[in-house]
Amino acid sequence: MRALSVKNLEMVYEVPKGDPVHALSNINFDLKGGRLLTLLGPSGCGKTTLLNIIAGFLGPTEGEVYLGDEKITGPSEDRGMVFQQGALFEWLNVSKNISFGPRMAGVKKSVYLPEVERLLDTVGLSGFGDKQIYELSGGMQQRVALARCLANDPDMMLMDEPLGALDALTREKMQSLILNLWNETGKSIVMVTHSVEEALLLGDKVFVMAPRPGRIEKVYELPFAVRALSEDPREIKKGADFQEVKEEILSFIWEMEEEIMGREEA
Amino acid sequence: MAGLSTRRSDNKTVTFGDAAAVTSLPFWGLLGVITLFGVWFLTTTAFGFPSELEEKYNAAAETKAIEKAEAAGEPVDFDRLSDRELFVECQRDGDNCNNKTSYTQVVSSLSFPSIPDTIGAAQELFTDGYQNFSIWEHTWASLWRVLRGMFWGSVVGIPVGLSMGLSSRARGFFDPLVEGFRPIPPLALLSLFVLTFGIGDKAAVPLLIFASLWIMIIAARAGVRNASLAKVRASYSLGASKSQLLRKVLIPNALPEIFTGLRVALGVSWGTLVAAELTGVQDGLGAMISQAKNFSRLDIIVVGIVIIALIGVLMDGFIRFLESILIPWQGKG
Repeated sequence: MRALSVKNLEMVYEVPKGDPVHALSNINFDLKGGRLLTLLGPSGCGKTTLLNIIAGFLGPTEGEVYLGDEKITGPSEDRGMVFQQGALFEWLNVSKNISFGPRMAGVKKSVYLPEVERLLDTVGLSGFGDKQIYELSGGMQQRVALARCLANDPDMMLMDEPLGALDALTREKMQSLILNLWNETGKSIVMVTHSVEEALLLGDKVFVMAPRPGRIEKVYELPFAVRALSEDPREIKKGADFQEVKEEILSFIWEMEEEIMGREEA
Repeated sequence: MAGLSTRRSDNKTVTFGDAAAVTSLPFWGLLGVITLFGVWFLTTTAFGFPSELEEKYNAAAETKAIEKAEAAGEPVDFDRLSDRELFVECQRDGDNCNNKTSYTQVVSSLSFPSIPDTIGAAQELFTDGYQNFSIWEHTWASLWRVLRGMFWGSVVGIPVGLSMGLSSRARGFFDPLVEGFRPIPPLALLSLFVLTFGIGDKAAVPLLIFASLWIMIIAARAGVRNASLAKVRASYSLGASKSQLLRKVLIPNALPEIFTGLRVALGVSWGTLVAAELTGVQDGLGAMISQAKNFSRLDIIVVGIVIIALIGVLMDGFIRFLESILIPWQGKG
């Protein structure tokens, strides 16, 4: 898996009748292939903007993003994207959603059909291939989205709050699924989340971002993701080391939110 | 536990608004139709003009008309327009035709047809037809015109609407045209269309195309605009090209709106039919209604209206059936 490298990224939005918004400022980092990076921060810190730039949906005002030696200039099937919801194609059944990428690339049916079956099995949806999207629960729909993304065999999976719309129990199960997929496929994952707990459990690297201008404020390298592959994630979350980091980040984000509120009132 | 009543799973506690109004009950639909016919029956038949009196009165008017014509030295043929008018004129001079007939009775004989009158007119239409065409020929002529109008309206309108949803240049170019043409009543364009395209179907079909075109443009445009940004982005990051995005994602995604457009266009097309058939066509339900109007045959007008209503309901049911097959996901997000 190719490494991601982000160099001197600046993103400024021009706002009609207002000051330009400095969404991202001086973002620099390298991410080796096969890492799981989670992006955390208060709203407006630019984490989704950063993800969209890596995906190629947005062009940065300044700076470059490279995947391996290749400069990112637009969306491509080597960077798959999983959205919070609403990105599945309702007019296609589960199998056809998953095989969308290969079919667009002109892959033969005899090649992609066994692959679709294998992916259905991987995400725990064996036997659901002929179901329609609207027949599935929210959690199952996200499983389809993960499988659809994997069908293109991308270098990297980008996830924009993929579990944000799920109930707590389903969310825990999906966190384990994502960890297992990460472990089995060895793909790089960059994931935006609002949940501090989720970011700490899943991220073997965590960026805590701060707003105005959007920047990376803190970087954590954490052992929990690897541990969660063999241990019970619930026990890990209860552990003192996990709680300590969680409190530190929560109070940090809390302070930033306070500051934003204060600035807006002034 | 014994004695605990089992709750039915469809027990609703919220019975106001959308939760209660997603499905319509056939019983209530039937009740609505029965109410309509009940009101019609009560206002025209039960308390209306007694039909035997009306026949007597009509006979008197006919005699009067013949007398009037003979005085002028001409034979009377009631199939001729001028003689029919003469008859109606004599009906209006109620008091002169028959001293026993009061003015109110004359008016009521020309007012809304009763149910028996309408059934009689329907029988007449189904056996003899009207104005040299059988009722089936009239119906088919209108249906065929409406279908052609909607077909060409869609064939032109959907691509234009899609282009407006996709490109701001196309949106800029077409928007003033669409918004400007849309409110023009087809009846206002009637003479211009006849002068431009010729009489008969040459003008009638373009008028019906005009009626559905703008609706289909707006529907297709709304369908494209409704595609979520997430779907478009997902398609690109799955490797779709621009043309694949259009064919495999945006068009299927626009289907619900396009079908809604078809249903609206269907109603508007039938609503434009009478105007469209004033272009000099001889057959068709709209032409039948206009001619019946000239002869004060209100009963035939009502039969025409009922037939149009029935076809409208059937065609709408057909489109809904297609929707349930082609876009089963609609309303289940």
